[in-house]
Amino acid sequence: MDVRLPKLGEGADSGVVVNILVKEGDSVQKDQPVLELETEKAVGSIPSSAAGTVTAVRVKVGEKISAGQVIFSIAESADDAGHFVEAAVPAARRTRPLIPVNPAAGTAAATSKTIPGFPPPASPSVRKMARDLGIDLTRVSGSGHGGRIMLEDVRAHIEKLQAMADGGAGATETAPRPVERIDFSQWGPIYMKPLTPLRQTIARRLSDSWRTVPRVTQFDEADITTLNELRKKYAKAYESKGARLTLTSFALKAVVATLKKHPLFNASLDEAAGEIVFKEYYHLGVAVDTEHGLIVPVLRNADKKSLFELSKELEELAARARDRKVTAEDLKGGTFTISNQGGIGSGPFTPILNTPEVAILGIGRGALKPVVRDGKIEARLMMPLGLSYDHRVIDGGSAARFMVDLVAAFEQFKEADAKI
Amino acid sequence: MDAIKTDLVVLGAGPGGYAAAFYAADKGKKVILIEQDTRLGGVCLNRGCIPSKALLHAAQLISEARESTHCGVTFGEPKIDLDKMRAWKNSILDKLGAGVASLAGKRGVEVLKGRGYFEDSKKLRVETAEGQKFLTYDKIIVAVGSKSALPKAFDLGNPRIMTSRDALNIPDVPEKLLIVGGGYIGMELGTVYAALGSKIVLVEALPQILAGADPDLVQPVMRYAEKAFQEVRLSTKVSSMATHGKQIKVVCESNGQKKEEFYDRVLVCVGRVPNCNDLGIENTQVTRDEKGFLKVNASQETTDPNILAIGDVAGGVMLAHKAAREARVAVEVVCGESSVFQSITIPAVIFTDPEIAWCGLTETEAKEKGIQVQVAKFPWAASGRALTFDRTDGLTKLLIDPETERLLGVGIVGHGAGELIGEGVLAIEMGATAQDLAAAIHPHPTLSETLMEAAEVFYGHATHTFIRKKSEE
Repeated sequence: MDVRLPKLGEGADSGVVVNILVKEGDSVQKDQPVLELETEKAVGSIPSSAAGTVTAVRVKVGEKISAGQVIFSIAESADDAGHFVEAAVPAARRTRPLIPVNPAAGTAAATSKTIPGFPPPASPSVRKMARDLGIDLTRVSGSGHGGRIMLEDVRAHIEKLQAMADGGAGATETAPRPVERIDFSQWGPIYMKPLTPLRQTIARRLSDSWRTVPRVTQFDEADITTLNELRKKYAKAYESKGARLTLTSFALKAVVATLKKHPLFNASLDEAAGEIVFKEYYHLGVAVDTEHGLIVPVLRNADKKSLFELSKELEELAARARDRKVTAEDLKGGTFTISNQGGIGSGPFTPILNTPEVAILGIGRGALKPVVRDGKIEARLMMPLGLSYDHRVIDGGSAARFMVDLVAAFEQFKEADAKI
Repeated sequence: MDAIKTDLVVLGAGPGGYAAAFYAADKGKKVILIEQDTRLGGVCLNRGCIPSKALLHAAQLISEARESTHCGVTFGEPKIDLDKMRAWKNSILDKLGAGVASLAGKRGVEVLKGRGYFEDSKKLRVETAEGQKFLTYDKIIVAVGSKSALPKAFDLGNPRIMTSRDALNIPDVPEKLLIVGGGYIGMELGTVYAALGSKIVLVEALPQILAGADPDLVQPVMRYAEKAFQEVRLSTKVSSMATHGKQIKVVCESNGQKKEEFYDRVLVCVGRVPNCNDLGIENTQVTRDEKGFLKVNASQETTDPNILAIGDVAGGVMLAHKAAREARVAVEVVCGESSVFQSITIPAVIFTDPEIAWCGLTETEAKEKGIQVQVAKFPWAASGRALTFDRTDGLTKLLIDPETERLLGVGIVGHGAGELIGEGVLAIEMGATAQDLAAAIHPHPTLSETLMEAAEVFYGHATHTFIRKKSEE
C-alpha cells in the first residue's frame, strides 16, 4: 500500500523534505517517524500510518511535497492490530511539530538505553513537553545520573537540531561562514539564554531578507496635527463600540489608499519566472512586539474595511499575537507590512523587508516640531516615516512618488472615513 | 421532547467519571454527569475501595487487640456489633458521597440521576425518576465501570452465594465461609471475615494467591492466611454449587480429586466484567474487544468520534487511580489538547495483612520479558520502626537496571505498604536512579527508610544490614 503525507494541520499543506528516516527494506512500525518535513512555520516528523516493510521511497531530500502525496510504499505486515486506533485519531494530531534532525543526527545512536515498556528516563513534565514538541527523547542525551534527561538537555537538543537545519536547509545559498566561538567570559562575567524557536525563525528569515534583497530606505515626515485631532475626536466613539482608534489604524487606511495608486508596492518578484506578481488584494502585515519576539500577523482585505473595522481587527490580531495564539495561517499572505514604533516612542528607523513583500513602512514617534507654514513658524505634530523597498523591483523615483502620496494621505485624511 | 444540549456528558459518576466531569467543568465546559445510583462515587466509593478499607480497619483493630498481649497489653474478647459496624461504614460512604455531590454543585456540574442509553452516537436517553430525558452533546465520556462476575454455574439466585457487593454489607458472620478466588478482593474480604470469626476456606485455581504480585511479596500474606483461614487450597476449582437447606453444597476439585462440602455462605471473587450491556453501544460506532471492554486508543478515544471511554469499561487494570488518570487524558482530548496516557506505571496495592504494593516492573515480568535487573532487598527485620510496632514481616525491594542504575520497579510487602509505594511511583516516573533514592534523606524512624536502605543495598553499603562483598570486590 501507499503511505501518503497526512494533512499537516495549522494550515500548512506542503513542505520540504529535510530528512528521510527509512530506506527500502526497512520495517516500520505504525506511528514510527519516517520523514522530517519543514513547513513555513516549523519542522515536523511525519509518522507512518501503517506498519510493514518499505518497498519504495517516493520522495527525495529537498523535494517539496504536499498533503496527500505518496511518500513511500510498504508491504503491510500481518500484524495489523490496533489499526482502528489509527483511524480514530484525527490526522492533524498525528503530525507533530519538530525541529529537524539532519542525516548525521538521525544515525546517531540512541543515547539513553532502551528498556522494554519504559520511556527514556525523564520526568513526566519533560516527557509531556517532548511529546508536545514532537521530540523523540530516545535521541536526546541525558546529562543526569543514569542518563536522566533534564529540561536543559531537551533545550540543548533543540538548539543542536536547529543549528543543523539552518546549516542544511539553504542548499542553494552560499552557506554563511561559521562564526568563530568566542569565550566572552575572559573579559568579565556573562550568562546565557537559549534561543527560542521563534527567535531562531526570526533570525533565519531576516538573514535571508538581508542577503537577498538590495534594500533602500526613503525618509519623510507627515504632518499629523489634523489627523491627531481627528483621532481624539473619534476615540471615545470607537472605544464605546469596543475598538481603540490608534495611529496604526489610520496608517492602514492611508497605506491602502497609496498602494492602490502604486500597485508595484503591493507586488512580489518571481525571479524564477522572470515576472513581477501584482496582487489585487491588500493584506497588510502589522509588526507586533511581543515578549517572545517579533510576530507579524496579517490583516486581510484591508481595502474593504472601514477604519472602525480595521481598528477592531487590529486590536484582536495584536492580542492574539501577544498571547501566541496566531496560527500559521494568520502569518501568511501579506502584501505590505507596517511597523509602528511610535507607541514605544522612538524612530525614525530603517525597517527590513518582510520578504517576499517588496516594501515596508516604518513609522516613528510623532513629535511637535517648528514648521514654517505660510511664512510663519508653527508648532506642528510631525511623524517620521521610513519606507524600505526592494530596489530590484522599485526605482527611487517611484519610491519618492509613493512617499509623497502617502504623506498626503496622512495629512488630508477625510473625516468622513473616520466616522463610524 | 426537546433534547438538552451540553458540551460534555459524562456517563457514570465513579472515580473516573466524576474526576472527568470536574476537570472538564474546571476547564470551562458545560457538563452533565449521569449516575444511576443514589449515591455518587461508583463502585469505589459505594461497594469497593472505601467500604472494604473501613471494614479492614475494624478487622485490624480486632487482630491487633488479640496480638498485643506480649507487648504487655491484654484486652478481653472483642464484642462485635454488626449493626453498628455497618452503620459506621455507611456513614463514611454517605460523607464521601455528599462530598462528591457538593463538589459537583460548586463547579456547576449538573448531576442527572438515571440510567443512560445511547439512541445513537450523538444522543443519549436517560431514564430518570421524572421520566425520559434526551441529551445531545459535543462529546461523551463513558465511565460506566464494571461489576463482579458471577459465573452462570454459581448463579443460583441464592443470597448465600455472594459477590463482594453483598459481602461488604456483612449480612451476618457465617460460621463456615467459602471464598472462591484468591485475588485481592477475595483476600481482603477473607481478612475481614476471618477477623470477625468466620472459618474460611479459600479456593484458588492458580498455584499462587494474588496472581501478578511477586512470590516473595506474597509469602508473608500466605503465611498469614494459612494461620487465619482454616485452609487455603491452591490449584483447585469449584466444579458445582447447589442449595442445600440453609447451606450451600460445594464440590471442589483438585488433582482430579473431588470433595463435597457444606458452607453457610460462599463469596465468589473471580474477576470483574464491564457494565456495557443495555447501554445502547450497538447504536454507536463503538467497538468492543473480545472480553467485552470498549476499545480505546491512548487518547481514550473509542472508534466512535463522539465517544471516549475511561476506567474499568475501557479495559486494562481495573483500578480507581487508573480511571482518574484516564479522566484527565480524556478531558484534555475533549478540550482539543493532544494528550495521551503516558504514565509509566499504575501502582497496585493489596490491602491484606500485611499489605502488598508494587509499581513499575515486577521480578516475574522482568523474567518474562528478558529484562536484566538487579534486585536489592531490604528486610523489615532490620527496620527499627517495624520492630517498634511489632510487624517485622515486611520486605522492601527495588528492581534496578544494572547499567544505568535506573529504578525500574519497587515492591513492598508489610504493614502500611500502600502508603509507602507513592515514593516508588514518583521515583520511577521521574526516571530516578538508585543513587537518587539513596542520596535523599529519609526521616528516622520511619518505614520510608527501607526504600533508601534498599537503594544502599544495591551499592553494597546499607547501614542496617550487612551484605557480603562479591568475590571480585
